[in-house]
Amino acid sequence: MAFLFGRARARTNAVELPKQARDHILKLEGPTGAAKADELAKTLALIKQILQGTPETESSPEQIYQLVKGIIDEDLLYLLAVRLHRLSFETRKDAQVIFSYVFRFRPPAASPKSEPLALAYVIDKRPQVLIALCRGYDHKESATPAGTVLRELLKNEAAAAIILYDDGNGEPGSSAQGVQGIDREKPQTGTGVLWLFFDWIDKGSFEVAADAFTTFRELLTKHKDLVPKYLAVNFELFFSKYNLTLVQSNSYVTKRQSIKLLGEILLDRSNYNVMTAYVDRGEHLKICMNLLRDDRKMVQYEGFHVFKVFVANPHKSVPVQKILLMNRDKLLHFLSHFLEDRTDDEQFIDEREFLIKQIRNMSSTPVPPQR
Amino acid sequence: MTDEVVASHYQVLEELGRGSFGVVYKAIEKATGETVAVKHIDLESSEDDIQEIQQEISVLSTCASSYVTQYRASFLCGHKLWIVMEYLGGGSCLDLLKPGNFNEVHIAVICRELLSGLDYLHSEGKIHRDIKAANVLLSENGKVKLADFGVAAQLTHMKSQRNTFVGTPFWMAPEVIQQAGYDFKADIWSLGITAIEFALGEPPHANTHPMKVLFHIPKNPPPKLEGKFSKEFKDFVSQCLVKDPDHRPTAKELLKHRFISRAGKVEALQELISRKQMWDAKQDRVKLPVFYQETLHHISPKDDSDEWVFDTVRSVALPKRTVRSRKPSSASTIQDAMRHLDVKDGPLQPTTPSTVRKATVRRHPSATAHRGSARRVSNVSNGGSPRASVAPKRPLQPDLSFGNSGSTMRLFRRVPSDSSTSSQHDSGGGGGGGHHRSSSKANENRPPPALHPPAEPSNKEAALGRRLYNKAIEPSLAELHAQTATSSKREALANLSDAFAHLDSVDPEGAYHLLQNLVAAVGRDSRLSSALFQQQQQQQQQQQQHQSNKPSIDGTPHGTVLVKNNNRAGPSSSTSSVVSAATGTPSSASSASSSPSKLIMSQENPHLMSHRRKRSIAPDGAGIGGGGGAAAPAVPRSPEKETRDREKMALEAKFPGHQAVPGMEHCKALSDLLYARWTDGLRARWGGLSG
Repeated sequence: MAFLFGRARARTNAVELPKQARDHILKLEGPTGAAKADELAKTLALIKQILQGTPETESSPEQIYQLVKGIIDEDLLYLLAVRLHRLSFETRKDAQVIFSYVFRFRPPAASPKSEPLALAYVIDKRPQVLIALCRGYDHKESATPAGTVLRELLKNEAAAAIILYDDGNGEPGSSAQGVQGIDREKPQTGTGVLWLFFDWIDKGSFEVAADAFTTFRELLTKHKDLVPKYLAVNFELFFSKYNLTLVQSNSYVTKRQSIKLLGEILLDRSNYNVMTAYVDRGEHLKICMNLLRDDRKMVQYEGFHVFKVFVANPHKSVPVQKILLMNRDKLLHFLSHFLEDRTDDEQFIDEREFLIKQIRNMSSTPVPPQR
Repeated sequence: MTDEVVASHYQVLEELGRGSFGVVYKAIEKATGETVAVKHIDLESSEDDIQEIQQEISVLSTCASSYVTQYRASFLCGHKLWIVMEYLGGGSCLDLLKPGNFNEVHIAVICRELLSGLDYLHSEGKIHRDIKAANVLLSENGKVKLADFGVAAQLTHMKSQRNTFVGTPFWMAPEVIQQAGYDFKADIWSLGITAIEFALGEPPHANTHPMKVLFHIPKNPPPKLEGKFSKEFKDFVSQCLVKDPDHRPTAKELLKHRFISRAGKVEALQELISRKQMWDAKQDRVKLPVFYQETLHHISPKDDSDEWVFDTVRSVALPKRTVRSRKPSSASTIQDAMRHLDVKDGPLQPTTPSTVRKATVRRHPSATAHRGSARRVSNVSNGGSPRASVAPKRPLQPDLSFGNSGSTMRLFRRVPSDSSTSSQHDSGGGGGGGHHRSSSKANENRPPPALHPPAEPSNKEAALGRRLYNKAIEPSLAELHAQTATSSKREALANLSDAFAHLDSVDPEGAYHLLQNLVAAVGRDSRLSSALFQQQQQQQQQQQQHQSNKPSIDGTPHGTVLVKNNNRAGPSSSTSSVVSAATGTPSSASSASSSPSKLIMSQENPHLMSHRRKRSIAPDGAGIGGGGGAAAPAVPRSPEKETRDREKMALEAKFPGHQAVPGMEHCKALSDLLYARWTDGLRARWGGLSG
């Protein structure tokens, strides 16, 4: 009997719980906020329990389906994402679990290739959920749970596109109307959520900055069709901001990691056109050469892996050739002593030798590149 | 909010422990007065991705359990990451095992607490993956907490599995080693091994090579607890050590085990803590607490003249004083650089705290002086201005650092051998060498100043300084460098060598005074002088003997070095008093006749020949004691000797206690101040001990 009773209650819960949660959330700001927060915590814990199941009882897919549908219908994903930082420590973790279960759920009949129910809904109809999750980096409390959920979501290319192409609500071609509304040819105005990442990474506290950077990296390295196109259209805006805010950041971690990521982006085969455009700029080479002279070895090392792209490029632009020639002797001397203690890093040594050879063999007057 | 500000919210005290991850200090949170543990991770020295460290923080920061060390905060301070954690005064179980194994009563309590901790972690979707006595900490009143989440995993899905091969071999579950996918149960296995460790003092197979153990564990039947232990305890261990993870009980199930359910209160564990304290007290060696020391910001010595040139106009008149041009055309950079400079120049201003062991500074005062010297060089080279004008104004900045830069630590460790080879000779040059100089040096050659275009030695000190560099500093640094294997140490040495080379080219006189002061400072310390000068004296005696009997064998102990030096430095067939101890006072024309073959070879060294040629062409050695040095190898002794004597007197005059020579007052003041600064600094930093 107890078994049957538990089942009946679970079914009502699946319908009722999202409604309850919504009510509590909307009253969080009201006079009874503290009490509502407690109730919300209980409700979310129950939702989590149903989604996750307990070691003793597995939830039925039907029950979960009802619950996920209820969560979508009540717009609970958005409401939770926006208020994530206001929840208590344990409730935030419950919310994070709820997000990741809901976003992974497929109805039993659906093909395993199809997009999960809630994810498809968010991508097409409610992209603001994704934006709100990014905004989790505005607060130290919500950074980790929001970031964890985001990185799961970003495995999906459409979800990544929503974040890349967010350009505010009014702008045509912005992802605010869903993934279908995106205009990939239109340059960004720089007001979208992606541009906020630069500040989160550069100015956030270590926990926020590190998590935001991890997400940022996922966003820029996972999708080999989406990102090259995006970078080509938004080349100026993206790299000027990247170089100014991240590569030349005052934070050691930001600086080191972003140089490394820059190298990864440039050396990714899918980004070939972006890479050639990047290494044509004398300005970029200057920044990079100064990295070689940073007083921190690991910054020098990461800088080297960007610098080598400039030198190894067989079609160096005239400005790049000029800078290299102007500093040829210094570079040759500098490189011959560069990071000498890396004696067991054979690849590095080979590459360094290669660069020295390249620079030594350059024609002493700039030659216009032929392609 | 900048993270560096947050760092000042903590008063960092003594070191608690160190490992590959970094150093852990005890600290006080100034706002609350609460004691915390602060872990410093030097990101610059870690090749691995910062993301891994971040992973540890994210696992820790999402734990809130009385069974898990509580995470407080983390922030960045330069290239050091600070992780602030709850302070646990009882120490780790591994430490507590030192006085002896735990009895069953204690083990049961610890295991129960650990199971509660694991139950919490596992319900949160976390796997610790490195359970062992070293990672179990006790609070002062006996609370048991799991620590070190360096390899912990966070599962996004309760049923997901991991394949990563992490942990510590002896404690690793077979399924982890086989990388066949594992889950929370892996921690239970490690707990079983840890229980054995508590009872026997070490895990099974502890005497086997860790890599071999990796074959043992999956292949052999699970280890058993043998000996005089209760049935319950043995059963508990065997339940933890079920090889098939599916049949291994969960933490929750094990909490109901008889061995655990009858365990007593955690307060009983205070016995373990006091036992350890007693044991520590009985140890003979006094354990000096190692105190935290902050590092000053410093700009590594760079050759400004080598900065990149990005536009032709500026390249012509690129001012040498650009401290560093990261963003060449931005004014803010220069301001930034200036700020850094200010910081460095300000006395003892803490900026980038880092980790250097206080004790080393105390024990090797000579090293401090050494370092101070290197630092000063860096100042000079950064300023790019000739020391002559700078010296009176900023003679002391370098010493303000007291050797607390990150790399110093390594340099210091190296110092004992360093000083035994190089500063010993330096001291010979400065003081003791004076006695035998007249004889050993009488007929040697001098390197003509013309060989060194950058800065003509303009006076005696400069010439001596140059000689000092060529004869003592450069060869001994090179030798030490060659003998040093570790790359970081090599690098530190190379930096020092570069700095000296720069100083020599810019200001040989400065080098001379530097070493002179160094020797003086060493001489003032009785222990140091006895340690360093004793050998020197012995060597002198030896030398004098040789001088009278067979002067040539002198220095053979250093034979290989000697030959190397001769080959490398060419003109070094001449000797200076400064290095006489190092190079063994060889190679003058008179000794060459009976020298060992090596020396004869070096006499025929082409470098030497060309050197002689050059020397004869070279203009009279400006400033070197009337240019007597330019004479051929077989010069008569007397003029040379006179010069020597004059030099000797000049040297002795500058010794501490002597009246300063007019015009050289600042040097005496410098050495006195350097010494005073150093002692003051020690007092300031060790004040905490007495107060």
